[in-house]
Amino acid sequence: MEFLKDLPSYDEHNFTLFNTDHGIRNCSKRPSIYLPTKDIPSEQIIVTEKTNILLRYLHQQWEKKNNTSPKKRDQSHIEQNGDESRPRKRPCLNSPLN
Amino acid sequence: MAYHYVVTAQKPTAVISCITGNFTSPTDLNLLVAKVSRLEMYLVTPEGLRPMKEVGLYGRVAKMKLFRPPYEQKDLVFILTARYNAMILEWRTGANGELEVVTRAHGNVADRIGKPSENGILAVIDPQARVIGLRLYDGLFKIIPLDKDSTELKAASLRLEELNVYDLEFLHGCSNPTLILIHQDLNGRHIKTHEINLRDKEFMKIPWKQDNVETEASILIPVPSPLGGAIVIGQESIVYHDGQSYVAVAPPQIKTPINCYCRVDARGLRYLLGDIAGRLFMLLLELSERDGTASVRDLKVELLGDIPIPECMTYLDNGVVFVGSRLGDSALVRLAAVRDDASQYVQPMETFTSLAPIVDMCVVDLERQGQNQLITCSGAFKMGSLRIIRNGIGIQEQASIDLPGIKGMWALTLGQGPHHDTLVLAFVGQTRVLTLNGEEVEETEIKGFVSDRQTFFTGNVCHDQLIQVTDEGIRLIGRGPGGWGGVAAWAPAGRALSVVSCGDTRAVAAAGPRIYLVAIQQGALELIAEVCMDEEVACLDLGPGGEEALLGVGLWTDISVRVLKLPDLRPLHTEKLSGEIIPRSLLICVLEGVCYLLCALGDGSMFYFTVDPDSGALTNKKKVTLGTQPTVLRSFRSLSTTNIFACSDRPTVIFSSNHKLVFSNVNLKEVAHMCSLNAVAYPDSLALATDSTVTIGTIDEIQKLHIRTVPLGETPRRIAYQEASQTFGVITMRVDKVEWTGGCGSLVRPSASTAAASASAAAPPSKHAPAPLDLELHNLLILDHHTFEVLHAHQLLANEFAMSLVSCKLADDPNHYYAVGTAILNPEESEPKQGRILLFHWCEGKLTQVAEKEIKGGCYTLVEFNGKLLASINSTVRLFEWTSEKELRLECSHFNNIVALYLKVKGDFILVGDLMRSMSLLQYKQMEGSFEEIARDYSPNWMTAVEILDDDTFLGAENSFNLFVCQKDSAATTDEERQQMGYMGQFHVGDMVNVMRRGALVAQLADTAAPVARPVLLATVSGAICLVVQLSQELFDFLHQLEERLTHTIKSVGKIPHSFWRSFNTDIKTEPAEGFIDGDLIESFLDLSRDMQQETLQGLQIDDGGGMMRDATVDDLIKIVEDLTRIH
Repeated sequence: MEFLKDLPSYDEHNFTLFNTDHGIRNCSKRPSIYLPTKDIPSEQIIVTEKTNILLRYLHQQWEKKNNTSPKKRDQSHIEQNGDESRPRKRPCLNSPLN
Repeated sequence: MAYHYVVTAQKPTAVISCITGNFTSPTDLNLLVAKVSRLEMYLVTPEGLRPMKEVGLYGRVAKMKLFRPPYEQKDLVFILTARYNAMILEWRTGANGELEVVTRAHGNVADRIGKPSENGILAVIDPQARVIGLRLYDGLFKIIPLDKDSTELKAASLRLEELNVYDLEFLHGCSNPTLILIHQDLNGRHIKTHEINLRDKEFMKIPWKQDNVETEASILIPVPSPLGGAIVIGQESIVYHDGQSYVAVAPPQIKTPINCYCRVDARGLRYLLGDIAGRLFMLLLELSERDGTASVRDLKVELLGDIPIPECMTYLDNGVVFVGSRLGDSALVRLAAVRDDASQYVQPMETFTSLAPIVDMCVVDLERQGQNQLITCSGAFKMGSLRIIRNGIGIQEQASIDLPGIKGMWALTLGQGPHHDTLVLAFVGQTRVLTLNGEEVEETEIKGFVSDRQTFFTGNVCHDQLIQVTDEGIRLIGRGPGGWGGVAAWAPAGRALSVVSCGDTRAVAAAGPRIYLVAIQQGALELIAEVCMDEEVACLDLGPGGEEALLGVGLWTDISVRVLKLPDLRPLHTEKLSGEIIPRSLLICVLEGVCYLLCALGDGSMFYFTVDPDSGALTNKKKVTLGTQPTVLRSFRSLSTTNIFACSDRPTVIFSSNHKLVFSNVNLKEVAHMCSLNAVAYPDSLALATDSTVTIGTIDEIQKLHIRTVPLGETPRRIAYQEASQTFGVITMRVDKVEWTGGCGSLVRPSASTAAASASAAAPPSKHAPAPLDLELHNLLILDHHTFEVLHAHQLLANEFAMSLVSCKLADDPNHYYAVGTAILNPEESEPKQGRILLFHWCEGKLTQVAEKEIKGGCYTLVEFNGKLLASINSTVRLFEWTSEKELRLECSHFNNIVALYLKVKGDFILVGDLMRSMSLLQYKQMEGSFEEIARDYSPNWMTAVEILDDDTFLGAENSFNLFVCQKDSAATTDEERQQMGYMGQFHVGDMVNVMRRGALVAQLADTAAPVARPVLLATVSGAICLVVQLSQELFDFLHQLEERLTHTIKSVGKIPHSFWRSFNTDIKTEPAEGFIDGDLIESFLDLSRDMQQETLQGLQIDDGGGMMRDATVDDLIKIVEDLTRIH
């Protein structure tokens, strides 16, 4: 059937020596257990933002309002610098407001 | 105070998630399977899947996704646990060549507020690995931008205006990460896309949306570039949508909901779909080309065949697919381009045993050997089965040869060197010699060897000679310049030899009552002693000790065992065995420095004694039953210790542990003969002969659980054992799909209840009633306790659900009955308003209903209680007595529950597990004929199982995967205190416990040295079996210290603290674990290197037995922990 022709193959040898002559096999081998005793420090820590999304929204609104006049300057600034993505002044979002 | 130890005897087997990727190296193709809290890594090889490493996590895997950042050569794995621990893991080869798992990033992403989504956790990763998206709480979408250079990955929540989200995915080929989701509102289900601004952490715009897709649309499949867009899977239709074009089909093949998919080719033109009935489909996107750009023209669906009911699937390589299931065995299947005989394109290749979900179980000692077996109700729907689980030693088969009629078997060394190269097989009237040449076996001859008689014994003996004993005598074969050849022979005068035993320099043979002792010399055999016993010799064995060894002899007629001493065969001791069964096999051997004499009888039982090597006195007589057939005892060496193999219809390995004999079952049906074999190709192996074959295999170092499957093809719900009738009663549920085939009836898939030897029904199905589409039918099956053949199926009423089952003996009635509790369901009612209790009697192949009692509700549990029948019916607990008129009469009731789901009894006490009000204890007042509530736990726990540990201590499991122990305080001064159960322990077991039963899986006669008491077996939804035992306070305190040290030695993958994982955690509280020792952690001590063991126990003090404390040594700890591993 065309549906099942040319199924993807990563390594054409894979499963070629799988023997099903004796019927369906039951997998009895279990992988050995990994028991780490070496401390490998984690490169990155996932931290979750504690700021309430409403507060963040209000901060953003406040920022937009306060930046109405210098915004034009900022925009031209961004256009010139392309990648410059952060406003020069920004509120501390991780302040212990909540 | 109560102290407990909880350990996993069988790890969870349900597959939650599976993915294919290049994890262990850039070129390795791997399969990663998540089984609740464990990850299993496999390598795809030409021979199939090769297991690599298993990793335990301190959390339940909720979502597992693979991704590859642009700068990586390998795939990484993102895992989110049910308690919101996120981690990014990498598998790599460490300095010593061992695979190690590196936690690249980790953290908890839980919010303090937020309503967890009822549709569960959703996790998606942008195809370009820019961001991870999580839907944990309704109305919020959490993003974790994957910033390579920062030490912190800052997760932020975005407001998602769609509250009821069913699925979401990231679209391919978008300049900004773009989400597509299915959501539902009052008008129906819709799909919508959202572009995410990662910098400002907000949704920017909605590139496109489509209102009112199919009402049951539940799966989104993002299509890779250049096509882009997504496929929406509904219950009856499949839609492709990319913002501009919209292609919809309603394939007639799809009749049941699709619940999982996997992509086949990287371009995304072919997908496999699996439905909840366990059928596999292929979905193909047909393209049309216009101006050089392809677009989707049509969707085609083809039914490929049957697979296990899938939870997840993943395409591996060359048409091979792994299908993971939660409802039974997972499987590896191959997609074939042509249909097979059963017109399927799917060929099963390999199955992966799974007990999940275990709904009920019973602990029985079927063989009456003191060794329990566990029979579980496992799996669901077409994958329903009973599993027979027992503890034992496994033989890993290496090779087998078909050879019927073997009477004896020995391994010889004919060439040079320490390895065996020859196998001698004895048959009636002949002997055959096989040469082991590498892995090949061919028949040969040894010069000087008698081949036309049955060999009784052969072996290598002193002076580089061989000995062969047949009925006509003893032959000595030596190595000459021209090869092997006979050098000496000795024949008894008179009767032919019948039994023989041989050491390196001495052979002992018996003919009738006469015993001959023959010295083996270089090129000569010399008779040095001869005695005549009182009766004929049935069996004998020469102990160790060379020329002054002890000889054990078993005699016919007077059924005695004699101990004689070489060299003059002086009688030392006589021991009469009780009974009339003759001894058939005898063995003297030294295990761990203790000399034992074992004597197996013709009925499968065995006596064993300790032998004083000087006086020959037999002491400490003990008897065990090993099988039902004559047993042959052979000693063998494995892993440099001597063990004994008892060949019978229930083969057993006997070994010594801490100077006690331990009997362990072997996972073979029967073994007639065996010998040790240490050949070059089969080192440290055993050769085992059955009626028809010789198997060469290696033996497991430790005993473990062995699982046998009895497929039912329908869902088993309850099981009960009735010893009197030698049957099991099983309640099953079967779903009949009424598919009108040309208007001539319904199609019923064959299963246990339809294929029973006989059948009966509560009422004939009405012919005029309109048949609903799916018919749920409940049956009581009666199964033979040996063959598990379905003897009878009794079908209940059409809308009647069987909910409970017990085998009971009531009042003075001598019969044993099966009692079935049912609920009659009416879809309009929130809880059942009526039901029945039915009593059945199975006798002489006939099932008779002896009583029927109408009740006002569903009967959740039935228990035999003081010769009466105790039932929980909706919110009540009721006691029924069995009158002389053979009627069930209500005696008393107790009302103080929401739904009384579980009952356990001990003496006059009844433990009640409530739907949501934890546990309470009732006492039955016999004189008054009433119940009194004595104590209650007032915490709001939603119970899933309860058990009575002792008179005052009760174990409960609740639905947030925790265990807790409550104790009643009878000594409290006020009534109020007495009525309140106190918490004595709590622990997060990490799995939903469905059933608890008192009992253990190890034989009682194994005399485990571990000082543990009152074992209870627990079985879970994900197929795990755990054991809870009570500990003394001293042992608890000691193990607690070890546990604490191990949490520092063993580093957690994903960096989740052990204390976090085991803390009692529900929606309303999280409290540290107490009163329980984590046995899984304790047992991992044995897997540490000796250096790490030493480091772990630094400063740990142990009682030296006399009350003095001293520093514990590694060996002290190994002994304690090994003893603990033997309790399961």
